[in-house]
Amino acid sequence: MRPVTKKWLFLKISSFILIPLMLWFIINFVSFYDKNYQEILKFLTTQPSKFLFSLFLIFAYFFSALSISEVFEDYIHDEKIKNAANKTLNIFAIFFPLITIIIIFNLSL
Amino acid sequence: MENNNPLSPHIQIYKWHVSSLVSIVTRITGIINILAITLICVWFASLLFGEFNYEIIKVFLQSFFGKFIAMGITWSFSFQMLSEIRHLIMDFGYGYEIKTTNITGIIVIIFSFILTILIYLLGRQFI
Repeated sequence: MRPVTKKWLFLKISSFILIPLMLWFIINFVSFYDKNYQEILKFLTTQPSKFLFSLFLIFAYFFSALSISEVFEDYIHDEKIKNAANKTLNIFAIFFPLITIIIIFNLSL
Repeated sequence: MENNNPLSPHIQIYKWHVSSLVSIVTRITGIINILAITLICVWFASLLFGEFNYEIIKVFLQSFFGKFIAMGITWSFSFQMLSEIRHLIMDFGYGYEIKTTNITGIIVIIFSFILTILIYLLGRQFI
C-alpha cells in the first residue's frame, strides 16, 4: 500500500471513530462547562468518562495532525519548511494528549 | 528530492460554490476544534491547582463571553461532524453530482445550526 493511501485510510478510520466521540464529548461539555470545580472533577475522575475522554483526545489529535498535514501539503511548497511543520505537528499531537491523559489519571476527588 | 507537484490555487481565485464554502469552513473548523480541545485540556489541567484557583476560570465561563465561546465551540464541532459524515458518504462513491453536492453542502450548513441547538438542549437536559 502506498504511503498516501495509508494516510487517507487512517484519516477515514479516525474520522469514523471520532464522530461519535465528538458528539458524546460536546453534549457533556455543554452540560458542565459552567459548573463548579467538584462537578468537573467528578466527570474527569469517574468511568466511563475518564476512558472515553482519553480516547477522544487520542483520536482528535491523530485526526487533526493528519488533516492539518493535508493543508501543509496543499499550501507549502518548500520541502524543508513542510517537513519541519509536519514534525512539529506530530510531536505536538503525540505529547499534548499524552500529558493531558497523565494529568487526568492523576486527578482525584 | 524536489517536489514538482502543483500547489493548490489560493482561495480567492475560485468562483464561490456551496461545496467550496463547506470545504473551506471544514478546514477552518478543524483548526478551531483542535485549538478548542487544546484549551479544554489546559482548563482540565488547571484543576490540579485546586478549587480556590479554579474560581477565576469559573467566573469567566459563567460570563456572557464564556457562554458565547461554549456555543461557538458547539457549532464548530457540529459543523465538523456533519461535514465528516458527508465526506464519508462521498468516499463510498455517492453524491458527486454537482446538484447533489450543493444540496448536501446546504444540508451541512443548515443542520450544523439545528444540531447546535439540539446539543445545547440535550446537554442542558431540556429534552
